[in-house]
This record gives sequence, C-alpha cells and structure tokens, in this order.
Amino acid sequence: MVNVMKGILVKCDPAMKQFLLHLDETLKLGRKFIIQDLDDSHLFISSDILESLQTKIDDLMDQISFPMNEKDK
Amino acid sequence: MADNGIGTSHQANTALIQASNLECKNLYDYLRTRPSTLLDRLYNHPAICLAVYRELPEIARQYVIRILFVEQPVPQAVVASWCHQSYSKEHTHVCQVLSDLFVWHEAPIPGGLPGWILNSTFKRNLKTALLGGGKPWSMSSALEADNKARDVSFLDGYSAERWECVLHYMVGSQQQEGISADAVRILLHAGLMKRDEDDGSPVITRQGFQFLLLDRQAQVWHFLLQYLDTVEQRGLDLGECLTFLFQLSFSTLGKDYSTEGMSQGLLIFLQHLREFGLVYQRKRKAGRFYPTRLALNITCSQNKGVPVLEEDAPKGYIIVETNYRVYAYTDSNLQVALLGLFTELLYRFPNVVVGIITRESVRQALRGGITSEQIIGYLKQHIHSQMLSGDNKNALPPTVLDQIKLWELERNRLIYSEGVLYSQFLSQADFNALKQYAQQTGCLIWSNKEKRTMVVNKTGHDDRKKLEIEECVKIYPNIYNRNLPNEIWCDDADHEHCIEAFQRFCPRHFIIDMMFVKSTTWPVCQF
Repeated sequence: MVNVMKGILVKCDPAMKQFLLHLDETLKLGRKFIIQDLDDSHLFISSDILESLQTKIDDLMDQISFPMNEKDK
Repeated sequence: MADNGIGTSHQANTALIQASNLECKNLYDYLRTRPSTLLDRLYNHPAICLAVYRELPEIARQYVIRILFVEQPVPQAVVASWCHQSYSKEHTHVCQVLSDLFVWHEAPIPGGLPGWILNSTFKRNLKTALLGGGKPWSMSSALEADNKARDVSFLDGYSAERWECVLHYMVGSQQQEGISADAVRILLHAGLMKRDEDDGSPVITRQGFQFLLLDRQAQVWHFLLQYLDTVEQRGLDLGECLTFLFQLSFSTLGKDYSTEGMSQGLLIFLQHLREFGLVYQRKRKAGRFYPTRLALNITCSQNKGVPVLEEDAPKGYIIVETNYRVYAYTDSNLQVALLGLFTELLYRFPNVVVGIITRESVRQALRGGITSEQIIGYLKQHIHSQMLSGDNKNALPPTVLDQIKLWELERNRLIYSEGVLYSQFLSQADFNALKQYAQQTGCLIWSNKEKRTMVVNKTGHDDRKKLEIEECVKIYPNIYNRNLPNEIWCDDADHEHCIEAFQRFCPRHFIIDMMFVKSTTWPVCQF
C-alpha cells in the first residue's frame, strides 16, 4: 500500500541538514518535525513547523555573524 | 500523519514558501494573455504592428520579413530550414511566439503539408508601417505653431516631477502634493500598495518596494499595464487606448500634437496620462499636447539596451566606500527614502546624506521583499560620476556587493517547497508508472528509485487523484464515475470486489476519507 503524506520538501546543503537533524533530535522546537530523511540535501518536514523553524535558523545566523563595520568612526 | 493543523497554518506557510515577486511583463507577455479578437482589432493599426514587430525575437522578425510578401502559406519545413539545426530550440520558441500573438497561423498548403501564413490584417498593416501609405494616424500634427511652445528640457522637468509625485506618494513622504484617487486605485489594484488593516490608508507592499527600485522606464511600463487592466471598468475602450499609447510611443519629443478628432474616451485617457506626466498639456482644453520622454518607446522592454538618450538624465548621486559607508549627494526626500530602504541612515545635511550598509539594514530590505540584485542594481544605476572616473570598471566596491549577495544567500540556505511524499510502493512498476506520470506533468520535485520514494507538488497530487479515478474506471468495467469528477460508482453487486478495486487504486490516505454508501447494490466512493 502506498503511503501518502503532506508536508514540505526542504532543499539545503549538508551542513544545514545536520543542523536540522540536530534540532529534530534534541527537540529544540518542542517536538520532532522531520517526517523523512531523504538524502544528503533533502528532508521532508511537517508543514506546521515552518514558522518556528525559520525563526530558529535566523537566530543561528545571528549568532554566527559579527558586525562588519563600526558606526562611530 | 494527521491532517489537522495543516489547514490553519496553511495561509502563513504559503506566504513563507512562495514569496511572490514583482512580475515584470514585457509587451509579448502582455499581448499573449489578451483575447485574439482584441489582438485582431489592434492589428488594424500600423503603429501597433510596428511595435509588435520590433519586440519580436530576432529570428521571428527574420521569418516575418521573409514571408511578408508571400501571398500563400509557406511550408513549415521551409521555415524551419531557414534556421540552423543547432538552434532548433529557438526556432520552436519563436514559432510559438508568433502563434501566440496571432501574427501567423497554421494553414495547410496544397498537398497536405502544414504551412504558416501571416495574419492578413497584420500583414497589411505592417506593410503600411514599413512602406508608408495608408490613413494618417489619428494623432495629427497639423497645427499652427504654439505661441508658448515648450522645449525638451521643460518637458523633461515636468514629466520627472509628475512621476516623482507618484513615487513620493508610495514611499509616504509628506511634503509633496497628493495624487488623485484614481492613481491610488491603480496602485492598489497593481498590488504595489495595499490598504492598511487598521486605518485603511494605503501602505506600500513588497512588490511596491521592488517597483521603486526599477528604472524609470520599467516603472512606467509596469504601471501602465496595471492601468490598462482597469481601463475597461472606466468605460474606456482598451483597443483604442492601446492604439493611442503606441502611437504616442512613436511620436517626437518636443513636438506638439493636436487633440482634434480624438474621441471622448481618448480625451479622458489623455487626462490620465497627463496626470502621470506622460504627456504635457498647458490646459485641459488646450487642444494640443506634448508627449514627454516617459511616453516614448515605452514598449522597449527593460533588458534591451535602449539607446541612452538620457544625456540630461538625473546625475548619479551615490558614493559607496569599501567600509560600507554610503554618501548620497541629494536633497530629494524620495531618493533619501529609497536609500533608507536598505541602509541605515546616520546623518542628514542639506545636500548630502550619510548612511551605512549593515547586515541588519540589508536583511530588513530582504525581508521587505527586495532582492540583492535590486539593491545592487539601484546602486549601480545611481552611482556618482566621481566613482566612474578613472579606469575603474567596477565602480562599486566588490566587497560590498559580494557581502550584500552573501547576506541574501544566507537567508536562502533552505529552499522550501510544499509537496506530498509518496513512499512504500509495493512494486517498482507502480513506482515507475507514477514517477513517469509526475515527470510528464512537471510536478515531480524529488525522487529516489532505490527507496521508491518521491515528492510531488500539490497541484500534481490533486491531478493524480483524477488519474487514479480514470485508471480505476479503465480497468474495472463495472466502475465508472458520474456526476462529480471526484466520485466513482461501482455497478457491481459484489461489494468485496468493488472495495478491492477502490483500495488497489486509492492509497490508504484516501480510503479514510471514502464514503461507502451501500444503497441497494451500488457502493459509491468519494474522494
């Protein structure tokens, strides 16, 4: 019997995929959200998590960047 | 997976997934979507035929000219032979374009081979446009000299002022005079602005931001297209307006034209154009008007390097330094507001603004829907002439440009596409069949043969339901669908047999939603 599931396909680089897997395993978003791990650069996730996931990723990006320029010079 | 919850968050998700961008149609895209009857009427005017001809792809122009004087259909094979084999893709494309625009249509030649023949109206009027003759265009220039003639620089100033009025309104700067309710309605209709949910006042949308960063010509063209969409609601005739617009685009700058012989509708149209600065009229009843630069060559799509006739166009005013600082020598509120879209403004002096491009300010712009391309395009377009001096080709510091691009890429490290996952196929054949079908309909997003798993997009999923029903009907003669497309009936006394058939073709997911109505002997299955 064919199994059919709705969700969102995420295409990303392997590094980001590992980050997502980490979020999934440690329940950082409150629950598991990855429906299926497809391959190195594709994941299938549940669609209602999208918003909180994006906030989380924005947070990560904020953490790994530093101000490039100083205003008061 | 449970279905609930998807519906509620669906709205938000679509917004996240498909960030709709400003769609810039060119003339071809616009005309293609018009009904053929309108096109036929338009082709009655040499001006339009010439405009359409000029906008055709190069190969298409070649074909049209070659068969312009041929009075009978030309075999398709002959037309194809004019183009080198290695360009067959382009050939197919231009054939499609010509058919879409009803410039030519298929006609069999004696002997049964398929051939092409030019649309007779188009042919006649293109000849007129190229060779001369025919009736004079309704925009006559037979006027005695204007005793208060306007020169080109005046017209440029006027049109710039009018157009900036519209832009000012969009960025919400207060100092300028307002624009008419009509213009506001067009902005709303175009999706460039939308009504604020709280107080109903128009606020700019992401498309609006993108619109602001376009160059002037593209702005005018986009705006006019949106205007033309609403033209019929105003009781004006679309064909008439388009004709006039094209004639206007072929007129001469700095020359005055008479309004004599123009219909009532056209006069209203002229007043609208006047408001946006496409034409200049001293008085509403002046009896003459001057086309401005905005109206000329409006159909030239933005990607074609329009011969730069704007020597006296506004000079660039932006200097970008490698330390991300931006100096803008301007006193225009509009330009400051535009710059403020993606820079953090630090100081404001009477004739100069100092700002800085930061990650946060660029991200703010990206969130607003502006792309890095557009930011860079805007900077390039308005770069100060001082930065262009010397042999420096890349006047803008590459570090800054790259960083802006990187900031954008950073946001797009994940690409989302809504879809439906199919897995656990029982046989490779089933998988292959469905995959092939998905590929043909162009809805396959991802697949893996070993895992027998695939993801298709949503529309594909809905289509597949239909396919399933068709298949079902084909294989089981006792099953047929009637009345509703999403309902199948089984004309079989053997219930077991029916249910088996349903189950075979409708995956578990749907079985849940199925409704078996065991009325007398006929089960029915609904999706």
